[in-house]
Amino acid sequence: MKILVPCKRVPNPDLKLKVANGSVDLAGTTWQVNPFDEYAVEAALRLTEKGKGGERVGEVVVVSIGPKDTSAQLKQLLAMGANRAILVAGDDSALDSDLVARILRAVVAAEKPDLVITGKQAVDGDDNQVGQILAASLGWPQATFLASILLAADGKSATVTREVDAGVEERRVRLPAIMTVDLRIIGKKAVRNEALAPATAEWEDTQRLASLKGIMAAKKKELREITVESLGVAGGILVKTLRHEAPPARKAGVKVASVEELVAKLHNEAKVI
Amino acid sequence: MKNSGLDKDSLQTLIDTLASFGKQKLPLKVRLDLDEKDIFPLDLIRELLGPDIGLHLLFIPEELGGLGGNAYDVYRVSEEMAKLDLGVATAFLAIFLGTDPIVVGATEEQRTYWLRRIADEGLIVAYAVTEPLAGSELSAIRTRAERVMENGEVKGYKINGTKQFISNGGYAQLYTVLAMAPEGPTFFAVEQGTPGLVPGKHENKLGIRSSNTSPVTFEDVYLPKQNLLGGVEGKGLVHAQSVFGFTRLMVAAFGLGGGVAAMLRAIRYARERVQAGSPLAEKQGYMDKLIVPHVVRLEAARALIEETAHRLDQGEPELQTEGAIVKLFATEAGNAAADAAIQAHGGYGYTREYEVEKIRRDVRITTIYEGTSEIMQWTVSRDRWRLHLQDHGQYYKKIAASLEALHREHSDVGADAAALAVNVVQETTERCRVGRLTRNQHVLFELGELMTRAEIAANFARYAAGQAAPKYQPFFAPSALKAMSRICAREAALDVLGLAVRLVRGMDAVDDAGIADFERALRSSAITACAKGLMSDMDVVAKALNEQDAARA
Ligand SMILES: Cc1cc2nc3c(=O)[nH]c(=O)nc-3n(C[C@H](O)[C@H](O)[C@H](O)COP(=O)(O)OP(=O)(O)OC[C@H]3O[C@@H](n4cnc5c(N)ncnc54)[C@H](O)[C@@H]3O)c2cc1C
Repeated sequence: MKILVPCKRVPNPDLKLKVANGSVDLAGTTWQVNPFDEYAVEAALRLTEKGKGGERVGEVVVVSIGPKDTSAQLKQLLAMGANRAILVAGDDSALDSDLVARILRAVVAAEKPDLVITGKQAVDGDDNQVGQILAASLGWPQATFLASILLAADGKSATVTREVDAGVEERRVRLPAIMTVDLRIIGKKAVRNEALAPATAEWEDTQRLASLKGIMAAKKKELREITVESLGVAGGILVKTLRHEAPPARKAGVKVASVEELVAKLHNEAKVI
Repeated sequence: MKNSGLDKDSLQTLIDTLASFGKQKLPLKVRLDLDEKDIFPLDLIRELLGPDIGLHLLFIPEELGGLGGNAYDVYRVSEEMAKLDLGVATAFLAIFLGTDPIVVGATEEQRTYWLRRIADEGLIVAYAVTEPLAGSELSAIRTRAERVMENGEVKGYKINGTKQFISNGGYAQLYTVLAMAPEGPTFFAVEQGTPGLVPGKHENKLGIRSSNTSPVTFEDVYLPKQNLLGGVEGKGLVHAQSVFGFTRLMVAAFGLGGGVAAMLRAIRYARERVQAGSPLAEKQGYMDKLIVPHVVRLEAARALIEETAHRLDQGEPELQTEGAIVKLFATEAGNAAADAAIQAHGGYGYTREYEVEKIRRDVRITTIYEGTSEIMQWTVSRDRWRLHLQDHGQYYKKIAASLEALHREHSDVGADAAALAVNVVQETTERCRVGRLTRNQHVLFELGELMTRAEIAANFARYAAGQAAPKYQPFFAPSALKAMSRICAREAALDVLGLAVRLVRGMDAVDDAGIADFERALRSSAITACAKGLMSDMDVVAKALNEQDAARA
């Protein structure tokens, strides 16, 4: 089983976003892997190992499109356990979901994975489109917002679930396929490969950390840097960003003296009752 | 030996791992609970040493299955651990310390055997040196290692004695024990479960309560001679000495981490707490008293920690004096910062849930273990004194000259004030020589303080001028760093001037006529003049701190 996991770097969400002159100022930011993509890597690692801490069978390849120092995030994913990494040189601001999907399609054509797993969305733009566009353009089945993945022993299909308003929706999906994952995918028993791990298998209910052994091993793993041109993909994006604006600051609230006054304000000013 | 350690990305990954581990496993509630209930979190330590993290691999050489981290990496990890919880960090320190006699003193065969086991099994290690009657004075140890003979040859040793205040003492799987063999103090490796090895009841402490501190008793503990580390008796103190540069650097990083953790909380609090119409963080008196000076001292400490780590990694041997300077300054700065953080929180700081009072109690240990502040002062003055006698004061004269040169190129880092501080040290040391003052212990302690203050300021000026270690990740913009360096240099110059006059005049080493000469030699009027600009620099730092906190969500 070979699994390709597209991952994006996003600005550290613990830092406040600075918006100035119509654009987001990212000069002082630090970067990290999009959490949903980290979950996708965790899922891919579980699908290729014989239970927690078990031997890896198959290959997990992570791919990112970004500037050179995205290698730091890719190394972290290699330290978590991914086998190989590909960095497609690109400028974060000159990308949109369409171009990303076209680049990934070329990577899929070159790598021929059995499965592509990625996060449901990146927490910077929250676009939630790449997985879907990629599936459509490849003509592959897609299963989105997954909460669990059970890979059949023959490796030809998977039973997947996602949470919907009414409960849990379960589907079977043929491979190769595109899957996008949601937070629940890191649950203790959310992901399993029937061919490798018994039904009793359990993992931590979180994505794994980069261990020191992993960091050591990562130094010897391949991190290939390629260009968009080498993939034969034309640049150019469909989405034009006009300007960024911070949401207006909230107006200060008012204190009311009595319930009567509150009701009166809700009725007369807010007009909600 | 040069050690380039981890590459930047790997180090960052490791630090991220620690931060995630902290968030998952050591949230505030757990930290407060471990502290209040006095619990040693064995499972958590096991996890840190287990396959999912494997923190001990940091200091195991690569060829033995470790990560081969260098002093710089160890400093960064120590600081992050200390920011999280100094008790848990202490367990890690003890493992590191306990492993040291093996790293520096063992035979090749022993080294491979033990380090491989520590790497593969993640052994909890303890460093058993201190005794009830031997604390600062290690050579006073009473624990005996008697030879056990067979056919006229040494077959093994029998150990008898009691060790005191041993971190991890109640849980260690491996102890490195210093005992007096016929030829002198010697390190032995003793495994958990060896008959006669009895850990005692753990101490109920002021702080680092999540760390286990226990006496350990040895009653006729028999060890085969392979357990004598290095295979030769009498090398124990030399081995202990030779890693002081490294281990004191670690404790210095603990002081730094504790202080930084307290300051981050205080600055956040000050930005949120409104009194008399505006946030505390906008009040000059508050910031200039409770926050800015402490942040300045902590960053000055960081600068010398980084420089010392860098020099160790370049292969300079030992650096015990620098280790002592940086331990003394960083841990005292950490203590003062944590104390100020309580004050900055007002009544809330005195309650448990804001955590600053815990940090204050925790960081308190750093001026005691691995050599007390007083012993550090003494070490510094003893070592520099020897240099002074050897080279007739050239050591500090050269530093002063290089700072004056630096000032000509970078007039904005306070190198001029730092040069004045260094000059005071040089002149005072010389006065002490002429007046035979160093026979007084008080003078030695004070000289150690003077030297420390001046060397810290000198290094900070170079650091702010852009001569920092290569892996340096700036925590502050250059303009803020330069303002800090100027503040530090002024404070150093003014303080050492006061200390020097107090010392020399106080010892009656100069008479009324002589004191004017002495003050002239100290260039006291130039020093008082350099206070100019202090307020506006403090404002710059206060603003930078406000902005930095505003950028954090
Ligand atoms: C929580 C904790 C953990 C520890 N962990 C370990 C460990 O893992 N392994 C280990 O071996 N040890 C450990 N120690 C011991 C620690 O290193 C010693 O406590 C420290 O070195 C000081 O020794 P002492 O307590 O005997 O104090 P003393 O040496 O008796 O000092 C008492 C006071 O006198 C001063 N003083 C000492 N000598 C002189 C002198 N000659 N002239 C003037 N003043 C002097 C000191 O500065 C201090 O203020 C630990 C201690 C604590 C509290």
